[in-house]
Amino acid sequence: MAIVTFDEATRTYPNGDRPAVDQLTLEVRDGEFLVLVGPSGCGKTTTLRMLAGLENVDEGEIFIDGKSVVNLAPRDRDIAMVFQNYALYPHMSVAQNMGFALRMAKVPKSEIEERVGAAAKILDIEEYLERKPRQLSGGQRQRVAMGRAIVRQPRVFLMDEPLSNLDAKLRVATRAEIAALQRNLGVTTLYVTHDQVEAMTMGDRVAVMKDGVLQQCDTPQTLYDEPANVFVAGFIGSPSMNLLEGTIEDGGVRLGTTTVLAAGGLPVPAGAAVTVGLRPESLAIAPAGGGIPARVSMVEELGSEAFVHAKLADGVSPAVPGEDTIVARFEPRTAPAPGELIHLRAKDGAMMLFDAPSGERIVVGS
Amino acid sequence: MALSRRHAMNFIAIMILLFFTAFFFVPIIWLFLAPTKTDGQLLTESPFAFGSLSTLAHTFHRIVTYSDYSVLIWLKNSAIYSFGGTALAILAAIPAGYALALTHFIGRRLLLAITLVVMIMPATALVLPLFLEINKLGLYGTIWALILPFGFFPFGVYLTYIYFSATIPKDLLAAARIDGAGEWRVFWHIALPLARPIVALVGFFAFVASWNNFFLPFVMTYDSSQYPIQIGLQQLIGSTASFNPANYSAGSSIVVLHRPDLAMAVIIAIAPVLLVFLFAQRSLVTGMLAGATKE
Amino acid sequence: MSVPSAAAVPGERLRRRGGRAVGKRERPPAGSSRTAGYFFVALYVALLLLLGIAPVVYAIYLAFSNSGGAGSAFVDAFNDYRFVPAFEHILEFMAIWLVSQTIFVVGLTLMLHNQAQRVGAGFRFIFYIPGALAGAASVVVWLFMLDPTASPFAFGLHWLGYAEFNNTIAPGNLPAIFAIMAFWTGAGAWIVVMYGALNNIPHELIECAQMDGANAFKTAIFIKLPLIRKWVVYMLVLSFAAGTQLFVEPTVLGSAALGVGVSKFWSPNQLAWFLASQYDEFNEAAAISIVLLALGLVVAGLLVWRGRLFEVE
Repeated sequence: MAIVTFDEATRTYPNGDRPAVDQLTLEVRDGEFLVLVGPSGCGKTTTLRMLAGLENVDEGEIFIDGKSVVNLAPRDRDIAMVFQNYALYPHMSVAQNMGFALRMAKVPKSEIEERVGAAAKILDIEEYLERKPRQLSGGQRQRVAMGRAIVRQPRVFLMDEPLSNLDAKLRVATRAEIAALQRNLGVTTLYVTHDQVEAMTMGDRVAVMKDGVLQQCDTPQTLYDEPANVFVAGFIGSPSMNLLEGTIEDGGVRLGTTTVLAAGGLPVPAGAAVTVGLRPESLAIAPAGGGIPARVSMVEELGSEAFVHAKLADGVSPAVPGEDTIVARFEPRTAPAPGELIHLRAKDGAMMLFDAPSGERIVVGS
Repeated sequence: MALSRRHAMNFIAIMILLFFTAFFFVPIIWLFLAPTKTDGQLLTESPFAFGSLSTLAHTFHRIVTYSDYSVLIWLKNSAIYSFGGTALAILAAIPAGYALALTHFIGRRLLLAITLVVMIMPATALVLPLFLEINKLGLYGTIWALILPFGFFPFGVYLTYIYFSATIPKDLLAAARIDGAGEWRVFWHIALPLARPIVALVGFFAFVASWNNFFLPFVMTYDSSQYPIQIGLQQLIGSTASFNPANYSAGSSIVVLHRPDLAMAVIIAIAPVLLVFLFAQRSLVTGMLAGATKE
Repeated sequence: MSVPSAAAVPGERLRRRGGRAVGKRERPPAGSSRTAGYFFVALYVALLLLLGIAPVVYAIYLAFSNSGGAGSAFVDAFNDYRFVPAFEHILEFMAIWLVSQTIFVVGLTLMLHNQAQRVGAGFRFIFYIPGALAGAASVVVWLFMLDPTASPFAFGLHWLGYAEFNNTIAPGNLPAIFAIMAFWTGAGAWIVVMYGALNNIPHELIECAQMDGANAFKTAIFIKLPLIRKWVVYMLVLSFAAGTQLFVEPTVLGSAALGVGVSKFWSPNQLAWFLASQYDEFNEAAAISIVLLALGLVVAGLLVWRGRLFEVE
């Protein structure tokens, strides 16, 4: 039960040209499951390690329950971590692995046994207590790694991509287990992943990072509905949002030769360059006339839905040069055929506008 | 642990490390400084004092010319035995290690097991029967009596085996074989170009082992003209006054050696190996670690 | 909270128990790969037979074919008045050497591993240099080091009560002296190997131990040491075998006439050679060689078996 506060925490590696973590200000609430997500190199793991005490904090502060931990050794911070590759001690049994930290803390043997047993029961690994890690499967090892953290009854859990070494199906199952476990135990948890689906399904709140800078920290739904900038918009959601180049004109946006009218007032002067964001699931065939023209290049039928990939036509430009394919979601078996020229429009209110130079989202009045 | 206690432990650790540094290194420093001083200076001055360059030159001259340039003859012998042995060792070990790692043949695992066992047995226990065998073969007194045993280097085979197992993906070879390449071509065109580090490593170990070997030449050579420098060193001790005073009576005309001369001889004896150590150190350590860290 | 057993999830592969590769019968694929393998190993196998197997066979033959009947060579050797002392010498030497080498090599390597990378590299290099002087050269260097009149360690020798060289190399000190020489020459290489082994431990494990509350010392004892156990055993095996065969150091030290305590048959290997070269007693000499060989092999086998050292793939 603890509140974790990052206050302009910064970490620059000795040969780095920019900070790995740049003035991060973030608060993890008591008992919250906060996910740190972002592409490789965004600083999420470094942030986790700074909290763990495995990385120096060059500038700024980190507080746990209001007390600065920046000068405390890892073991004095009352934090437990689940490592990406589990970091199980190969020469010790599962029980010994789980009890090691308690042994270091000179907890009496009987209590160690009790706590290890209880944690093993929660994670359903009781039958493996005497085995060595090399005799376990990946999923079992992952659970031992979690058990090791639980046994310590720490103030904060840290998890560094604990699911990335599991195969897809096991990942989905374990995802739900971890989330449920955390809810039961109620321990403040900071969880790092590069997988945005994991982030969206597990986190109470999700913090998106890029190049060491925090982009946005909100509930999953808010991130989806109200992304702060182009990066967050493109990162969250799968398949990712379509981003097109446009110009403000006459109360609407001109994309190539088409103009899409905006529903409400635009607080942006005419002529301004904008990036238009359209999620695949918000696109549909436009009624006669109007709409964004594109020629279908490929259709992915997934059974429950279909995704149409179409090449933009008629001078409509993508925001990123070269990525001129627009993706639209269709109900199964209703998709147009490859080669067809289609016109797409967004459902009401689903179009998002971002200031082209800065990437910040333009809030459209209603 | 309180910060001060941790500092104290670290201090003790540094002290211990420095103690051992002195233990390992002081003899070397002394050795290199000794020929610059006279015998008397060695006794009276500090061990770390530098004598003079002229003394060094005299010492060098005295030891090299001793007994009709014996030192040079011994060096030549060492070179022949060691280079010959090393060449043979590389020639035998590299293909063998490759075959053990990346080809299939009946008896492969048996050969590997035998190699491991033989590796554990240093050759010295076999020197005597080896001596008798060499004698029977009529090779006694020839350079082959030394080059052949030096060329038998199971440790080199094991290192090569580990190296090829770790660095060449089996898929690469499978692809080449599917493409129709014969085994020899696979070895020549794929494995060998990648083998430079291991050739250097095996060569290094074989050379050092051959150059420093004492027991084998001790048994296999009988005349001063055949001695490698290691045996020669031992002979020189016999002629060194401070270690064999009884041998020399006053007024004797035999050239007598003193400590600086003997030290100079040691330096000459180890110079090749030391040079190799120093220059190859970086790649050696990496190579050694590659072998040492295979799981 | 019940959790579906991982084994029931398809796509999960349970590691084999014990982690050992279960031996499969080697069935080489058809084709030229099979015969080519023989060509590649041909030269090595020739050398192996000629210089590895044949001498052993010959030695065994010699040891058992004495004129007094099979086994009499062994009896004669055991009864030789120099046999038991030689083995006493060698065992005392090995006890001192192996114990101190293990403690110091492991201890020094752990200490170095704790330091920064560059610092460690510098120390390791210095420790390694004496390895270039293996054999006679190192004995000569230590001849100088043990002479209280000229040695840089003179103060230490005087403190131990040795005023003159023949005090230092008194017979009782010989096992310790040879142990020092062997350690001085060999420790560096083993430190490099141990250091490599320590580096092979995933850094995550060390960090995890840190977070689990282990300080540097406890991490070394509970995590690092057990994980390099294999290499420590390897070091013991090789050193034991080499130690039983001690020859160079006593021979070269004995060349200094002041070394009266260093007889020409101080170590068993020396005795074997002495018997062969002075008395033509080849059978007895071979018997001693076989005993030494067997000793090394037995201990090696024990350690390898208990330590599961070599897993042949």
